[in-house]
Amino acid sequence: MSKSYRDGLPISPENFVDQLMRLKRGSIGRRDFLGLTGLGIATAVMAREIGIMPTPAFAAESLGDRMSIATWPNYHDPATFENFKKDTGVAVEVNVFGSNEEMLAKLQAGASGWSLFVPTNYTISTYQKLGIIEALDMAKLPNFDGSQEDPRFTSEGTIDGTTYAVPKNWGTTGFAVNTKQLTKPMTSWKDFWDTAMAEGDGRTMVHDYQLTTIGNALKYYGYSFNSLKQDELAKAEELLLKVKPHLFAVSSDYQPGMRAGDAWMTMCWTNDGAQLHRDIPEIAYVLGKEGGEIWTDFYAIPKDAPNKPAGYALLNYLMNPQVAVKEHLANGAPSTDARVNKLLPKEVLDNPILYPAADLLTPLEFGAAATLTDPGRAELMARFKSA
Amino acid sequence: MSAGTGAVSMHGNKLRDNLLTALLLGPAAAWLVVFLVLPFIAIAVFSVGERAPEGGYQAAFTLAQYANLPARATAFWNTMMLAPMGALACLLVAYPVAYYLALQAPQRWRLILLALVVIPFWTSLLMRTYAWMYVLGGRGIPALLAYVGFEDIRLINTPGAVLLGIVYGYLPLMILPIYVSLERLDRRLLEASADLGATPLSTFLGVTLKLSLPGVMTGFSLVMILLLGEYLIPTLLGGGKVFFIGNALVDLFLQSRNWPFGSAIAITLVLVSVVVLIAANRISTQVSGARRVDLI
Amino acid sequence: MTAVPDIEFRGVTKRYGAVTAVSGIDLAVPPSAFVALLGPSGCGKTTCLRMIGGFEQPSEGQVFIRGQDMAGTPPYRRPVNMVFQQYALFPHLDVEDNVAYGLRQARPRLSSREIASRVGEALAMVRLAGYGRRKVHELSGGQQQRVALARALVNKPAVLLLDEPLAALDKKLRTDMQIELQNLQREIGITFVLVTHDQEEALSMSDFVCVMNGGRIVQLGQPSEIYDEPADLFVADFVGKTNLLSGKVAGQSGELVDIALADGTVIAARKRTALRQGETVSVSLRPESLSLGAPESGRFKGIVRNRIFLGSTAEYAIEVQGIGTLLAKADHLIGHGNLFKPGEPVAIGFAAGTPLAFPDPKNNGTNQRVTKHVEIIS
Repeated sequence: MSKSYRDGLPISPENFVDQLMRLKRGSIGRRDFLGLTGLGIATAVMAREIGIMPTPAFAAESLGDRMSIATWPNYHDPATFENFKKDTGVAVEVNVFGSNEEMLAKLQAGASGWSLFVPTNYTISTYQKLGIIEALDMAKLPNFDGSQEDPRFTSEGTIDGTTYAVPKNWGTTGFAVNTKQLTKPMTSWKDFWDTAMAEGDGRTMVHDYQLTTIGNALKYYGYSFNSLKQDELAKAEELLLKVKPHLFAVSSDYQPGMRAGDAWMTMCWTNDGAQLHRDIPEIAYVLGKEGGEIWTDFYAIPKDAPNKPAGYALLNYLMNPQVAVKEHLANGAPSTDARVNKLLPKEVLDNPILYPAADLLTPLEFGAAATLTDPGRAELMARFKSA
Repeated sequence: MSAGTGAVSMHGNKLRDNLLTALLLGPAAAWLVVFLVLPFIAIAVFSVGERAPEGGYQAAFTLAQYANLPARATAFWNTMMLAPMGALACLLVAYPVAYYLALQAPQRWRLILLALVVIPFWTSLLMRTYAWMYVLGGRGIPALLAYVGFEDIRLINTPGAVLLGIVYGYLPLMILPIYVSLERLDRRLLEASADLGATPLSTFLGVTLKLSLPGVMTGFSLVMILLLGEYLIPTLLGGGKVFFIGNALVDLFLQSRNWPFGSAIAITLVLVSVVVLIAANRISTQVSGARRVDLI
Repeated sequence: MTAVPDIEFRGVTKRYGAVTAVSGIDLAVPPSAFVALLGPSGCGKTTCLRMIGGFEQPSEGQVFIRGQDMAGTPPYRRPVNMVFQQYALFPHLDVEDNVAYGLRQARPRLSSREIASRVGEALAMVRLAGYGRRKVHELSGGQQQRVALARALVNKPAVLLLDEPLAALDKKLRTDMQIELQNLQREIGITFVLVTHDQEEALSMSDFVCVMNGGRIVQLGQPSEIYDEPADLFVADFVGKTNLLSGKVAGQSGELVDIALADGTVIAARKRTALRQGETVSVSLRPESLSLGAPESGRFKGIVRNRIFLGSTAEYAIEVQGIGTLLAKADHLIGHGNLFKPGEPVAIGFAAGTPLAFPDPKNNGTNQRVTKHVEIIS
């Protein structure tokens, strides 16, 4: 794990940048960070340059000397790419993104320049439908062993028997609570929303992301996380509008607020929960007993990848359990691969934030592709945010 | 380019002049076409289209997106409040600074002070806004206040924090045009006013303020138009609890990927901006009797 | 003179850091006078005017306006008004609002009817009736000048200050305005203090001329005194055109002093201060005091090198062996009853007592001086 989280105040410059880069999904802040710092442009330029390079697919398995990957901020052990370069001579250009939607938009526009990218489970069917990802040639991925994967996490990578994506890691969406400030034990989304309007008034954060914010509001009533039913969504909206004035923020960038003590409770993804708890032990990570989201991030290769051989080579390299274990130690999300789990230290496997009890996992739902692109939910979110 | 001079010269000269003009203006014109006109046309075309099932744009001709504008009425309303209020707050802070720089600061310090105003602009606004997040957050100023006995003061995610962020972020854009117009101000006019019996206050109101109005209007409209599209500062320092047009656009283009609706909103926003610019120009021309100050 | 002076300077010194702009000025301006502060740029005349207006504070000494010590009184509380260089009209106001500006500052407030009538009078006084609604940038230089005058005078100041008011006008207009200003001053009867570097303007308009140099007053007097009886070499040289001839004191004869010029000629000159025997002096001879005649007559003999025809008069540059080039101004019918031509020999004479001798600390060469004049007129 990144060392800067272990030391000192959150305002240290190192920590500042680190946190900036740690935001996982749907954060407007980070998106613009990339754009405004020029990072986005730099990667775009790099990507274009790579696109120009003549790398005919499968041409005698020449790997070329560089490739580009699109992934999430702070999601890899940097040593992984250095070692890959040492082994193969291929330099890896890392592009980090703020949301699946952005990745989708970039790939739809074409000439993304990526030879490998990291989509989340619910987007894969859309990529497949749009025909912009490669059906994986499993012969090129000898390190991947499907039999060692938990099928619960891998199923969405395979469509009609064809594998389009293989899993990187999984996680959950629960909420983090500062138990020093909110002492009442909490176990459910009902607790979350009720507390937000009572003891947690002015101290609660929800994601700026319709999937989780609406999904977890639906859970208050026990509806499906992915519900598209008019009446159920209407109830969720009613709750959200009621809670809105009590919120501290609508933001997916919740670590700074929690760390500074301004916020006492927030919707939270696994890795952030683990990090917050590790640094500030009174911050607990709770999975709503009604359910909520479970997710898997996958690796996939775009159809127009400029350097497919290198893409395959890197993917195969990442599937090596010895490599993958370092990745998991670096980013903190639980692995889908039993071979990797065997290599992880006991305290990681025993961490209930990373590996929750089975009864808590059972009611969780994967986000659905339809939920993601449903205009009704987008409009609901807009009404919530503008309320 | 003046058309009048060509009329006197020989026909051939005129032709050459026009060619030279075209050559000189060509790159700028091409730049404008590629980066301004074409995207604008694309947005205009999108705005009468439909959202594709998987998001994005699907060709159509419908005004449905425009008919749907009321769905973002709150965002429009919030923006229409934020933009002038933010610009006004910015103006109230910027004017004394510009005044000091242009009329009071010692000559040898002026450039240095002006540079100090501009230098923060070289860093990304996002970085600077993030810095404010920490300064205003629980471990920043409130921690200091708690240390001296003022417990439980929350600054971050309040309207005050948003205002502060806006003023901070846009200050140079307001200071510079006002500085330019004040710097150009004929100092003897101030002496003439005092000579005619005007107190410093009435000199300021009757002469300085009126003659710096072109700069004020330039800064005001510049900041206001940028604020019409602002979403970052309210999101980061206001906790994203207030929804502006900028937020609506970001969500529509990058989250729900409803490009046609986003385009319709963008077009509407551009029209509003144009109206603001024209109005600002009118006002400053009328009051100061002078043409507007162009930025630097 | 028992009347309280309109303006009085007592031991006024103004320093800007290490630079002394005005040094130990004592000056009293009687009521209803037209006074010119005359001097080259940097002589301190504008600083003096600005100290009256209140835009500068003296470093030492006091400035009085009508007997009141003005120390600490800001410009807007002083009973004076100024016509600024280039007028400083308010560009955002029309003519009428410019003129009404001072009246609108008055407390207690004046009625709008009174303001309107006084503005009307002021505009009529400067012959700009009907121009009230014009924008100032639509007016000519002369019209702007008159607006500036009206704007100052409408407030009925005790003293009107004019800072190089005519400098921006062309020559014809300048002459007209000189007369107009004089008439105006006589009509209103208040004191005008005019700052100018133009000696002709100072001499023609004012009752008193205060010649300044290097931050000090070098001479104060009526224009004719200044011209005819310059206090020192600087005034003689600065005010009007003159020939400066270098020489040495050869002998004293009562009021007059004998000066031996470079060519050995000895002339009798008046003096302003005591001169030692053998002292190097400069002798001032006004061009108009020289008379030209047939080659055999006169004091100096020379050859006409240059002639400038000025209508009623003509100016000649005449080269005199051993002396240099002399400038002479003559009615063109004098002498031959015709003009002298370049190349023609000519004799130069002057009445006894017209030359004026000054001690010349710098001991400048005569040639240099006179050449400068030739450059100016040719």
